[in-house]
Amino acid sequence: MRKLIIALIILPSFFLHAQNGSIRGKVVTDENEPLNGVNIIVIGTQFGAATKKDGSFEIKNLPFGEYTLEVSMIDYSKKIINYFLDASSTSITIILTEQLIQTQQIVVSASKYEQRVQDLPVSTAVIQPDFITRNNFQTFDDMLRFVPGVQMNLEQPSIRGSSGYSKGTGARVLVAVNGIPMYTGDTGEIIWELIPTADIERVEIIKGPASSLYGSSAIGGVINIITKNSVKNPITHFRSYFGAYDKPAYDLWKWNDDLRTFYGVELTHSNSIGNLGYTFSFKKFDNMSYRKNDFSKRYLGYLKLTYDFTSENKLTYFADYLNMDRGNFLYWGDSRSYALIDTSSAGNTVKSNRLFTGLIYHHHFSQSVTAEFKSSYYYTKFDGYGKELTESIGNLFRNELVTNINLSEASVLTSGVEVSNSTINSNIFHSPRFFGTGIYSQFEYKGIPGLLATFGLRYDYMKMDSINAANAITPKIGFNYKAAQDFILRASFGTGFRAPTPSEVFTATALGGGFNITGNPDLNAETSMSVEAGCIYEPEKEYSFDLSLYMTNYNDYIEANLTNKGDIKFLNVPKARIEGLEFGSNLSLVPELLKVNLGYNFMWARNLTDNKFLKYRSRHSFNAQVRFTPYPFDIGIDFRCSSRVDEIDDLITQPPFQLVIDGAKRVPIYVTDLNLGYNLLIGNTQAKIFLNAKNIFNYNYVEFIGNIAPIRNFSASFELYF
Amino acid sequence: MIDMHKIVLVIALCSLLSFIAGCDKGIEPEPQDATQSGKTGFSGKVTFTGNWPAGIKRTHLVVFRNVIQSSSDFPPPNLAFVIDSIPYRSAVFDYNSIDNNIQFSILKLGLGDYSYVVVAQSKTPDLSLDRKDWFIVGIYYNGNDKSKPGVMTIQNGQMTNGININVDFSNPPQQPPGG
Repeated sequence: MRKLIIALIILPSFFLHAQNGSIRGKVVTDENEPLNGVNIIVIGTQFGAATKKDGSFEIKNLPFGEYTLEVSMIDYSKKIINYFLDASSTSITIILTEQLIQTQQIVVSASKYEQRVQDLPVSTAVIQPDFITRNNFQTFDDMLRFVPGVQMNLEQPSIRGSSGYSKGTGARVLVAVNGIPMYTGDTGEIIWELIPTADIERVEIIKGPASSLYGSSAIGGVINIITKNSVKNPITHFRSYFGAYDKPAYDLWKWNDDLRTFYGVELTHSNSIGNLGYTFSFKKFDNMSYRKNDFSKRYLGYLKLTYDFTSENKLTYFADYLNMDRGNFLYWGDSRSYALIDTSSAGNTVKSNRLFTGLIYHHHFSQSVTAEFKSSYYYTKFDGYGKELTESIGNLFRNELVTNINLSEASVLTSGVEVSNSTINSNIFHSPRFFGTGIYSQFEYKGIPGLLATFGLRYDYMKMDSINAANAITPKIGFNYKAAQDFILRASFGTGFRAPTPSEVFTATALGGGFNITGNPDLNAETSMSVEAGCIYEPEKEYSFDLSLYMTNYNDYIEANLTNKGDIKFLNVPKARIEGLEFGSNLSLVPELLKVNLGYNFMWARNLTDNKFLKYRSRHSFNAQVRFTPYPFDIGIDFRCSSRVDEIDDLITQPPFQLVIDGAKRVPIYVTDLNLGYNLLIGNTQAKIFLNAKNIFNYNYVEFIGNIAPIRNFSASFELYF
Repeated sequence: MIDMHKIVLVIALCSLLSFIAGCDKGIEPEPQDATQSGKTGFSGKVTFTGNWPAGIKRTHLVVFRNVIQSSSDFPPPNLAFVIDSIPYRSAVFDYNSIDNNIQFSILKLGLGDYSYVVVAQSKTPDLSLDRKDWFIVGIYYNGNDKSKPGVMTIQNGQMTNGININVDFSNPPQQPPGG
């Protein structure tokens, strides 16, 4: 009997020992590159492992049961994963996301070669792509509203007050994909829906004039979208979202009983065949909108091919195609019917097709000499259906050659030449031809300990149809001085130049809603001169602070104005000045768990000719982002506010014209967004679910007269990597 | 424990910001009575004495917000409203701003005071906004005070009546600058 009892006690433990297994898996980057040397610890045990060269790992002899794995590596976000080990457990794939300290981040936009943010003489912001998916931004521009110093007036970006508002014509911020500008050949606008969000590695934002490297369109700054490198192993990314707008804040504003929804679905696949890497993506995204005649139906196709001739020399080709059918909401009927379009433009729609392609060849001649050739073609076609049929076909060709020469260990010379040519066939832009060329050179010297000095010069020549040619020389000087290990000073002086766009010179059409636009062949090119001084203080790697003081003087600033005949016309403001202060901080209050980013911008933007504030600028803007990530949750709160815009186009809102009834109504902006994410494993595949509530207090505000911004809306998104 | 303090601090900060943001609803619709009440406008009579000049193509009652000080005050926004063209050789012309709105361009009559209400003639067939193309032939005065132009007040939901102007071709008024 005693033996039997002993046997009953011992046997189960024998069987339990037999119920052991191994946790096997692989750790890769979000580009499916294997990671070597990643630590995997089974929390609460002595067990653990490190990954091999191929990213694989195995933790042996673990009793069956539920475990929590901590996966960590320097420069990558730590990941905590719950894992249930039993007889049916299979290999697990874990994706780690790169997480660099902000100031250590490598950027290429400031000087057209790789530099660390802390070495730059100008203010720079870097945005990671997970910010877009986490917040479920439907288009790229929604994300920019949370960047300190960047203001969006509807779809028009303004960095540190560089732009007011002119609907769909001209831009002062150059938006580029891998350094290739993507402004349209006719209107000079940015089509945000065209940006391939699925292939973004990072977004670099240069604040302040960058004409001395990028030419005319960069007078206010640069937003450069860097796409991902090609992958060696296949990876597929699926993302889908669905959402709906809430009821308006007032019963009076309720105009439709339907649920106003928006949704999107996107599939991206990347892989390599030998030296040829490829990525293709398809996206469909529609929005019924919370306003009448403001719908959008969009298809986006994207293809990128990369061929590595050697490890240093490679050819990249990308093609990006957008088909869009949308309503043309101009402004409300009045403040009592905020969602109802003014009757005179009701039913106006725009159909458009756009193709943006680019070819980049990077050649490494030696350790000290590299060159890059960039060629692009941008086709745009839109047909506007309203009282008049407006149509435009624009073809923009652009070529650029950039060379980087390391003259010594302490000096780099970057030089380039670019040529662009556009043809327009339009019934509203006078079908002009445009030709532009620029040549530039920038010298960087770091021979004095702690000091990095930059000198640059660019010459631009531009000729538009029968209009007199414009040309400009734009020099710049910049300094970056590492005063202490944790304290960096920077200062820069730069000049800017912007030729008027074909649409600003030649547009002649009835825009709808009572607006008529007339051309102005006498429009001059605008020039600017700016200075900036700033510092970065980074006492610990978890805390960094950035402060900038800036001033830009504009001559012949181009601005849309209502003439005394009631027409909109682009005119030169002889003198304008924008001064300001910007502060930003990144605080990792509890490493890997709680982060807070804060940003504040004060701006004093004056039209010196009539001594008024420049139109559509807020003096104060503030934003705060809080992210709390107790695994498997990912909780974020994004808050932004800006002061009431001082000046608008009063003539548009007041008699005798009063094109927009109640158009003078404007308020400070307070927007709070909430997002809740959950990481999970489906089989062995990592997935994420996000619930987003935007404008949670249903605050009603305008970015442009007569245009209530998106009201409260809720959405759910789901993404999967496999 | 320190971490907990930081988390609580951030939650407090978020709550504060949320409280600030949630206090106000932002833009509100304009109240009903301010946008949908009775008709707003003005009415009156223009009487003509003397012989009409030859070659006149247009005769309009024109409303300016302020007295014209220079030629730049002639077009909008100082030019606020234009009444339909008065037939050539009319003796009396009864009008109101609702029925006789020329629908010129996109001008809308706003509320408030208008300090220069006149009858003006032009020899150009098109409606010119150039001061030199126009000759002022009659001015609205408040009662018998002809020392300065009369002020017309437009109030919401009300018709301002009695905006009468007498045009005496043999005794034209002083012309404003810029002609």
